[in-house]
Amino acid sequence: MPFLVLAFKNLLRHRIRSLLTLIGIAASIAVLFSIISFNRGFERGLARELERTGIHFMVVPSGCPHEVASLVLHGAVIPKFLDAEIASKIREVEGIALISPILVSQLPNPVKNRLDIAYGMEMSHISMLKPSWKIEGDIPESDYEIIAGSEVAGHDNIRIGDSVEYTGEKTFRVSGILERTGSQDDAFIYMPIKAMQELLGKHERVTALGVRVSDPGRLSVVTEKLAGEVPGIQIVTIGQVMTSISNLASSAKILSLSIALIAVLISTVGVMNSILMAIFERTQEIGMMRAIGASRFDIFSITIKETVLLTTLGGFAGIIVSVIGSGIIEGLVRKFMPYVPSGKMIAFEPWLAGLCIAFSIIVGILSGIYPAWKASKVNPIEAIRG
Amino acid sequence: MIELKGIEKIYNRGNEKVHALRGIDLGIGRGEFMSVVGPSGSGKTTLLHLLGCLDTPTGGTLTIDGIEVVNMRESELVRIRRSKIGFVFQHFYLIPGLSVYENVKLPLLFGRTEKKIDEIVSLIDLVGLKSRLHHTPNQLSGGEMQRVAIARALVNNPEFILADEPTGNLDTENSEKIFELLDSLHKRGIALVLVTHNSELAARAERIIRLKDGRLQGSD
Repeated sequence: MPFLVLAFKNLLRHRIRSLLTLIGIAASIAVLFSIISFNRGFERGLARELERTGIHFMVVPSGCPHEVASLVLHGAVIPKFLDAEIASKIREVEGIALISPILVSQLPNPVKNRLDIAYGMEMSHISMLKPSWKIEGDIPESDYEIIAGSEVAGHDNIRIGDSVEYTGEKTFRVSGILERTGSQDDAFIYMPIKAMQELLGKHERVTALGVRVSDPGRLSVVTEKLAGEVPGIQIVTIGQVMTSISNLASSAKILSLSIALIAVLISTVGVMNSILMAIFERTQEIGMMRAIGASRFDIFSITIKETVLLTTLGGFAGIIVSVIGSGIIEGLVRKFMPYVPSGKMIAFEPWLAGLCIAFSIIVGILSGIYPAWKASKVNPIEAIRG
Repeated sequence: MIELKGIEKIYNRGNEKVHALRGIDLGIGRGEFMSVVGPSGSGKTTLLHLLGCLDTPTGGTLTIDGIEVVNMRESELVRIRRSKIGFVFQHFYLIPGLSVYENVKLPLLFGRTEKKIDEIVSLIDLVGLKSRLHHTPNQLSGGEMQRVAIARALVNNPEFILADEPTGNLDTENSEKIFELLDSLHKRGIALVLVTHNSELAARAERIIRLKDGRLQGSD
């Protein structure tokens, strides 16, 4: 019967108290694991989505880079436009492989009496700009066809083949419905850019241009050249967009991690309190142990093992809870966060689970030091005397 | 062999100094059965704690098997407790979550020593509890718990057993049984120091020493 077994049996003597303490640790480790896991999933998903857009940089009117980031990821409405001649100038620069115009604007929907957000683009570029999309039905082939985002379709009960009317003049046929992405893409209407420009009276004007270069290794050369030759534009590479989003997300990350760490701290105090109570209750027993041959270190070691056992078991339980409940947690976060990349955010990563377990062991050691020191200082004579 | 010469023990109780033992000279031979009697506060338990290396005297010398223990480090005192001394307490102090077998084995755990299962079982058989091996203390009577405590005191093959009021919490019948058990250990060659208020039981020891106000009053 090693000390670990003795420590375990000591914990079993106060099952309810040990269980409640363990639940506290499990909850805090579950929060920690979920937050780190979600943040990592978020960054991975973001990088994946940006890499898969098939464009290397965006050209937008001079302005805030955060707006561009929003535009790339979920089609923000920017009240500035690029003229058509800018596209021609860009096209003249050496090394440009493709230019994809994007127009994002609000469209009055007279039937529903509201403003829809429409995203105009070259329909043939959909697979490149939105590679993760799954579309039920067809990509529009004519200027009178549109795609409805899943949320819009669900809300208005739109089906493939239905007609949608904008500004009272033009009627569009819904050729396809975007399957749920979990992002704000679900809330848009997608239409051919030419039709949208016509509808808004913004001929040849665009919100942004997505650009692909022929040699990604020469990206910086091309962008520098562009910046020098074409005035009034801002070039934002996908890397800059990623940095911009990461910066925006980092404060949320720090806040959420702080909350998780506070939860861990509270549960650490809970463990310390629980074991201290046990030590006070067992003072006479500790005195007896010292009399029959236990050294101070033996008592210290048994007590530390009790806290480490509690927190380690709590850590395992927390990770199990986090993995089982990842769907619910992810669903909740998606509901409240303005942008979440598509795909699964919380994934079980063994190294991260191992790290959280190691963290819970450290928490066990730290929370056990004071009670263990206190226990090791029990004077056997006074303890036995009661 | 334990030898005490001029043993003094002074406690500080607030600003007051309490003279628990005053100039005790005493020798306890191998296999001897000695009882210590005296009124409450006479220093019986203090003496027992010094003999058991749980405490060190303020003055005088105390040798166990010729080794001076007064200035020993804590770790050395722990080693002596593990190898030479067995304790039996009035309140048994068994660990509630452990079985009889596990409670008896406990000192081996601290001594980092191994003993065959059969040896431990035969020890439990010696105290008459073989049929209760896997019972926990809450399933035992007071007398049975004290038997477990005696088996626990024996598991390290000690030279001395120090028993502090071992029958203090037991009825007459169980007190008699525990005394007989202790007496049988003495007959096996283990030295026994019994602190008791029970003058009848004390009288059955080989030697009785009487303490009063921390002084040795006499020895029969």
